[in-house]
Amino acid sequence: MDNLLIHAENVSARFGNVTVFKNISFRLETGSSMAITGPNGSGKSTLLQIVAGLQRTVSGTVTRRVNDAEITVENFSAHAGYTGPLVNPYDMLTAAENLAFTIKDSAAKERVIHLLDYFDLYKERNKIVKHFSSGMKQRLKLIHAFINDPVIIMLDEPGSNLDSTGKDKLFAKIEELKAGRIVIIASNEQDEINLCGERVELGKQNI
Amino acid sequence: MENRIYKHLKKDILVEFRNRSAVNISFAFAGITTIAVSLASGGIRLDANIQSILFWIIIFFSGMSGLAHTFIREEEERTALFLAIHSIPEEVYISKLLFNLVFFIFIALVVSPLYIFFMHAIPVHFTHFCLTVLFGSIAIASVSTILGAIVSKAENRGTLFTVISFPLMLPVLWIAIMNTTASLEPGAAPGFQSILFLLAFSGVIISASYLSFKFIWME
Repeated sequence: MDNLLIHAENVSARFGNVTVFKNISFRLETGSSMAITGPNGSGKSTLLQIVAGLQRTVSGTVTRRVNDAEITVENFSAHAGYTGPLVNPYDMLTAAENLAFTIKDSAAKERVIHLLDYFDLYKERNKIVKHFSSGMKQRLKLIHAFINDPVIIMLDEPGSNLDSTGKDKLFAKIEELKAGRIVIIASNEQDEINLCGERVELGKQNI
Repeated sequence: MENRIYKHLKKDILVEFRNRSAVNISFAFAGITTIAVSLASGGIRLDANIQSILFWIIIFFSGMSGLAHTFIREEEERTALFLAIHSIPEEVYISKLLFNLVFFIFIALVVSPLYIFFMHAIPVHFTHFCLTVLFGSIAIASVSTILGAIVSKAENRGTLFTVISFPLMLPVLWIAIMNTTASLEPGAAPGFQSILFLLAFSGVIISASYLSFKFIWME
């Protein structure tokens, strides 16, 4: 089992002169999970992107470690899976072409077939993503987040656009993957929040 | 890393050719302007200097619509974050640069024979002409790749691209036009120093871009 750590200390974000949130701190280790909640515009996606290292902080630090090695931009996708409303696969490629682009190792090919089958996209794998429904696109995004067997999973509104079957499969997959990993979910959906052991609530108290 | 760059390049080519917007605009511009200039000149053989100015204007504007597009499209189609998550910055830069180089050289390869045919602009110093077109294209593609990356992160992209490309493109176009003029004039003895300048200029731009790309891309 990997020794994982995500440690955020006094993290703040600001857009122009507007403070989105300030002084957010938490510490997550192997096997822990956390929900980021808060009203619209409170900075849930921003905090998740900062934690992932995809956006810079105004102040504060975020430490991301796998077995004492730092997670950087260069090795991010080898260790972490991330998806959200702003992470879009290429519309003009097929699902299979999009997935082939993100595969990191040959072992992932087996995993891709399993995930396509699991999320009911196997038959649609050679369709151009532009012709996918929003629910199918969301399932493809989730496959991308899980494709490289990440030890840190960060999901921004993972259940959006999914039907009840899709949500059930997603929740079962998250439950299955939680052991030995770190899972962070940004959401306001109660059933998604319930998947997590800890919770950071953004809002007026953080400004 | 070579395998990853190949994946990027394949992805960019598939997306571009399925969209066809930049390619179609570029080739339409190249074809229409070359034939329009030829018709407007009424079959008169123009001065070598004017011919080379028109030649580079056609190549430049044919290619520019596609060149800046490679990065801007990632932002406009909201695939930039997907790309950032699944790639390291260096492979993104190298693959976009290679795509732009291939794209611009292809444009130059299409425009050059068309222009020679319609404008009766037969190069006297053919090797010199070919090297100028090749290295001029590399210089323009290398400048526009990094400028495309910078402006893709800005809000007023069109305006910013025009303003910041001016000082970097000017020396390239100036040298390329002078060289092309020399290669079209029967009495001229074109030197290779200016071709070396284009090569060195591209080298400096590509090196500086490679080193700074990570900071631009993750902004």
